[in-house]
Amino acid sequence: MDINFSKEDLQFRDELREWLANDYPKHVKDKMDKGEHLTRQDMVDYHKALSAKGWMGYNWPVEYGGTGWSATQLYLFNKEFGMAGCPPLLAFGVSMVAPVIWTFGNEEQKKRFLPDILDFNTWWCQGYSEPGSGSDLASLKTKAVKEGDHYIVNGSKTWTTLAQNADWIFLLVRTESTGKKQEGISFLLVDMKTPGIEVKPIITIDGDHEVNSVFFTDVKVPVENLVGEEGKGWTYAKFLLAHERFGIAAVGASMRALNQLKEVVSELNNSDLDKKVAEMEIAISALEMTELRLLSDLENGGHPGAESSILKIKGTEIQQGLTELFVEAAGEYALMYPGAGGYGSNDKPSGPEHAAVSLERFLNFRKTSIYGGSNEIQKNIISKFVLGV
Amino acid sequence: MNLSYTEEQVMLREQIQKFCETEYDFYKREEVVKSDKDFDENAWSLFAEQGWLSMPFSEESGGFGFGPIELSILFEEFGKSLVIEPYLSNVVLAGSILDKSNFEGKVQLIEGICSGSSHLSLAYVEAAHSYEYLKPDTNVSEDNKLNGAKTLVLNGKNASKLIVSCVKNDEFSLVLIDTAAEGVSFNTFKTIDEKTCAEFSFENVSIEDKDIIASGDEAKNLLIETLNLATLCVSAEAVGCMISCYQKTVQYTKEREQFDQPISNFQVLQHRMVDMFIDSELAKSLLYKAMLEVDSDSEDKFKHVSALKAHVGKFGKLSAQNAIQLHGGMGVSEEMMIGHYLKKMVAIDAMFGNADFHLKAFSK
Repeated sequence: MDINFSKEDLQFRDELREWLANDYPKHVKDKMDKGEHLTRQDMVDYHKALSAKGWMGYNWPVEYGGTGWSATQLYLFNKEFGMAGCPPLLAFGVSMVAPVIWTFGNEEQKKRFLPDILDFNTWWCQGYSEPGSGSDLASLKTKAVKEGDHYIVNGSKTWTTLAQNADWIFLLVRTESTGKKQEGISFLLVDMKTPGIEVKPIITIDGDHEVNSVFFTDVKVPVENLVGEEGKGWTYAKFLLAHERFGIAAVGASMRALNQLKEVVSELNNSDLDKKVAEMEIAISALEMTELRLLSDLENGGHPGAESSILKIKGTEIQQGLTELFVEAAGEYALMYPGAGGYGSNDKPSGPEHAAVSLERFLNFRKTSIYGGSNEIQKNIISKFVLGV
Repeated sequence: MNLSYTEEQVMLREQIQKFCETEYDFYKREEVVKSDKDFDENAWSLFAEQGWLSMPFSEESGGFGFGPIELSILFEEFGKSLVIEPYLSNVVLAGSILDKSNFEGKVQLIEGICSGSSHLSLAYVEAAHSYEYLKPDTNVSEDNKLNGAKTLVLNGKNASKLIVSCVKNDEFSLVLIDTAAEGVSFNTFKTIDEKTCAEFSFENVSIEDKDIIASGDEAKNLLIETLNLATLCVSAEAVGCMISCYQKTVQYTKEREQFDQPISNFQVLQHRMVDMFIDSELAKSLLYKAMLEVDSDSEDKFKHVSALKAHVGKFGKLSAQNAIQLHGGMGVSEEMMIGHYLKKMVAIDAMFGNADFHLKAFSK
């Protein structure tokens, strides 16, 4: 056993650190460090900076303009960027729809969509969940009826992250209502400017506008925007969800949060809180080693499967647990809530600066155990595929 | 980076597993536990024959020079089968201290351990100093008489010699005494995990200079290093127990039928078993980290052993309690193996600093 990274991997890590020190856009870094919200333009600038370096296709094969990085390089990329406090990369284009397009799409679709994803010229969003279809996604009802060379789409999607910024949406639609519910689903690519699409904000408990309802009324989608075969959408959807797992443990970001928490707590002289922080640090160490074990298995030709659900469950529990400890550290000042946009949108209050960001994150991070397959669904997966019950 | 075990390590694990599966079933163990014996002499001889009793010792002392990774493998497998033989007290505690010391007579003593012919124990616990092992009241007077008392001496009853921590000339020291020497007396007790331990008192036991194993910083380091290794070993044992707890529980719930179906069909039980599985995987990860740090003798090795011990102290017991709960009434029956894992977990948490102790040590 050898826990050390190879010389090449360490050189690669240095290269990442160099970019973070010199090329990570300053205005984005400043806002992230202060816990302020990013604008659409900030996000575009950040992703375009990565494109310029050639790192946007971080998990793509070289063939399509990607980096062709190994699992270890991907791990380091995620960890270093997390530890530097970078915004999480928008997954919808680069790591969700793109692999579906290059795996199941035709040549025309590859040429049309992939380069713009790599250059971040198009902002994608995900049309999966519906008001009546959450964890039971296959029960979705949004309908696409073929009429000539178009599909006519009617229905609605929900929890659509940053749809207000999106240029395109990938949609799971029902093209067949008889037979097994999984078999009547198709995968469509839809321009958000198409008439009949309406985006309505859903404000979450932290006061933020991150997710939306998207309504489709007689939306005409050209048949060439169907990916793969009609009725095979469920297969593509599951394939896509497997790609979503990347970086889900968020070890780097949690380590950064832990270090910040330790600084805050060190001034409080609260031994109960110290103990909880120590437990959290051990949990992060256990999570990191679990990820490294899976990584080592992968690099040795293994196929870790459902075990990676551990990373989702524990990774999100840790992320949430950290925000809870920040709130505890805020003490009485947990009473003051600044609302979305931080204290900038308010009169300057008293109390520690970390309190404002803490509360917003605490509320916002409740989503982590719900999205990406809720933690209960992850437990069902482990139960079925690992424990065999 | 490569976190796979070597071929030799995999073979070692298979060898121990084979022994545990074919020669060490729970009912055989129960016979020994209920008899007046403290362990199975035949098993102990077999350990010697297989070379397991020589594993961690340096080649100069007649050992194989195996490190913490191999020891962790052995203890993990022993944990699964709740092995009661006095490996920890002889090989890890007494043996390692001797092996790493400059004590003159060490090779002969270690030979005795390797062949299984003699037992040695480490007397390092005092009633008044819970988990404070470097400040013993036991002392050697100016006229070389040992006085004091030690408790929780593992396998003390069977030991022909003891390594005793004490103060001599104002310095922390480790001395070797004969348990048959004049002035040595003891009582023995069963431990919660079916082993045996003793309480020794020493009244003017004569010590000669040649009996001093080490003193001052050297003695302190020997004890600290040995206890750290022992903490790693029992934690690995706990990891083995946690793996068995979830696996045996999964097996049981698949076989046990209620309401006309296997109880493993019930989601509330499934999720509880998933929690047990996850906790065992996290424990395994912390074990990897700790054993690699000890193996490379890094500065952080104590910290990472503490992280592991704190985790298994808390989640090991939880896992065993969950196993009992999911076995229902069978879980609390003495004749079933599953309930005995809880006793093992309590024993492991109690030894060398419990979860709270190691959590504090970790955050220092």
